[in-house]
Amino acid sequence: MKLLLKWWQQQLNEVVVMRNRVRFLFFLFILIMPYSASAILSMELTRGIAGAIPIAVVPFAAGEDVPQHVADIIATDLQNSGRFKVYGQQSLSSLKARLSIGETSTVGFPSEVGAVSNDYFRRLGTDNVVIGKVVPLLNDRYQITFQLLDIFRGTGKKSVTLGRSYTVSAHELRSIAHHISDLIYQKLTGIKGVFSTKLAYIVIRTEPDGRMRYILEVTDQDGYNPRPLLDSPEPIMSPAWSPNGRQLAYVSFEDRRASIYVQDVITGMRHLLSKFPGINGAPAWSPDGQKLALVLSKSGAPNIYVMDVASSRLTQLTHDFYINTEPAWSPNGKSLLFTSNRSGGPQIYQINLATGSISRLSYDGDYNARASYTRDGNHVVMIHRVSGIYYIGILDLDTGTMRVLNKSIGDSSSPSIAPNGSMILYDTVYRGRNILAMVSADGNVQLVLPAREGEAQDPAWSPFLS
Amino acid sequence: MKLRQWIQILFISTCVLVLVGCHTKRKTDQSAINEANAAYATGAQTSGLGEGSHFSDQSNNSTMRLSTKHVYYFDFDSSVVHEVDKPAIDANADYMLAHENAKVMLEGHTDPRGSREYNIGLGERRAQAVGEIIKDKGIHPGQIRVVSYGAQKLAIPGHSEADYQKDRRVVLVYLQR
Repeated sequence: MKLLLKWWQQQLNEVVVMRNRVRFLFFLFILIMPYSASAILSMELTRGIAGAIPIAVVPFAAGEDVPQHVADIIATDLQNSGRFKVYGQQSLSSLKARLSIGETSTVGFPSEVGAVSNDYFRRLGTDNVVIGKVVPLLNDRYQITFQLLDIFRGTGKKSVTLGRSYTVSAHELRSIAHHISDLIYQKLTGIKGVFSTKLAYIVIRTEPDGRMRYILEVTDQDGYNPRPLLDSPEPIMSPAWSPNGRQLAYVSFEDRRASIYVQDVITGMRHLLSKFPGINGAPAWSPDGQKLALVLSKSGAPNIYVMDVASSRLTQLTHDFYINTEPAWSPNGKSLLFTSNRSGGPQIYQINLATGSISRLSYDGDYNARASYTRDGNHVVMIHRVSGIYYIGILDLDTGTMRVLNKSIGDSSSPSIAPNGSMILYDTVYRGRNILAMVSADGNVQLVLPAREGEAQDPAWSPFLS
Repeated sequence: MKLRQWIQILFISTCVLVLVGCHTKRKTDQSAINEANAAYATGAQTSGLGEGSHFSDQSNNSTMRLSTKHVYYFDFDSSVVHEVDKPAIDANADYMLAHENAKVMLEGHTDPRGSREYNIGLGERRAQAVGEIIKDKGIHPGQIRVVSYGAQKLAIPGHSEADYQKDRRVVLVYLQR
């Protein structure tokens, strides 16, 4: 474990060294690589997004031996959210040199509000400035202080809109950086940030002897800190977070048949939930966490059921011989979306849990599947096929219009919406490999998260974890 | 001196905490993995019998002919068995009729495109379609097991139409002869 940490830190240090050498936009390659050369420019996406917020993230004052570059993590978080035009270390340094500003300050970047030159940031084009410092304490602990300034409000203390101080250990530096990103994001957009959330997904590797390995992994939202929850020689599918983020339900074929397990994310303990003959699939927690919708084919064809988690009591919702699958709860828990081929190809239907009445929601296209509601319940995100390609589409329930979100990318699958509704995580074929990718709910921001090895698929975005 | 002692105590307790932390974490990961592996081992009654050549060490009898045809391919989004595969399925059914201890597993597969869970449904339909042909021959349903892997076990890892054609299949595996 210690060796692993050491190795990890070395990797990070290398990343940091490299990052200092390349231009600001390209440092995005290091953490989350934009999906093509042209997309790096679209990462300057502020162009395409109405009201992208300029913000300068000034490198934090820190000793040489501070293992994480807190300000870089914050800058990357904000940049990758697509809601900000971020001025990080590189752009700040070059502009500083060009304008010959800051020559009076020999210490470099300001870390105290009194040292901030409002004139400098005004010329840069941003009123929002993040400053901070990391002070090493004893025993590998650090004090992190940051302030968010709005220099439009004035100079000095008058400009401070947010300020906090934390004491954390070295391994918590990334977490605290993400937490600071959350606070800044919420202060400036009014929406809760998702930088402290996690992603679950399946990694598939081929061993040298040709055998397959399936691993259920959980990482931080930016792809760091991957950890395995289950490692199996047989397929694992459809991870689903409980609403409190403490458990994952998933399908495992570990004894050559489908079973649904529920695993505690922290302890790794798990229990078997469902192992009926035939399909046991597509688990989906109700918003209150009391029930799980799932798919069983014990009747002879896949049908939707709801299981009361405490009592394991099953209620069958669909009763036919079509393929009915992929239940997804409405935010109020009163209805479910599901995929069914009752009209020929797969389409999205909604079942009212009180009345049992079923209505069709998707009419655009001949293949729509794996639907989920956005948080406000006004839109439905799904797999949507156009001209033989599988995209992520979003259906506006008010207008009935369908929109493709990720048109420039290959066959895509398994959309999962961020808990704040800002981004949609999915998997896609990229350069012949299956990888994870993200697109903003308006389609303007696209990112990919290449797997370190093997193929990554079937992602699920966690709920808010704190 | 006192300060040094405090530093020592802090250092040691941090080490202990770190070690404990590492230990519990490893246990967490490892126990999950062990559990999965253990569970797999309990299913080992079938684990030695892959899709491979179950009859290949026999020769010059009817079963040799069978071994050449235990994979049946399907059209896109279809669970209709090809006419060309029906003689081979019938031959397997005849074998099962003659050997009532014989048990088969029908593994339904799809190509990787589209929804994974919908593909599980589609794979099951394909396996059931083959199963129906076998049952129509008078085979006891208890001799047939169906599992759908959907797109989780591709025949070919590639992403061309030629690869997809190889992925859309039902594999007949003898669990017991």
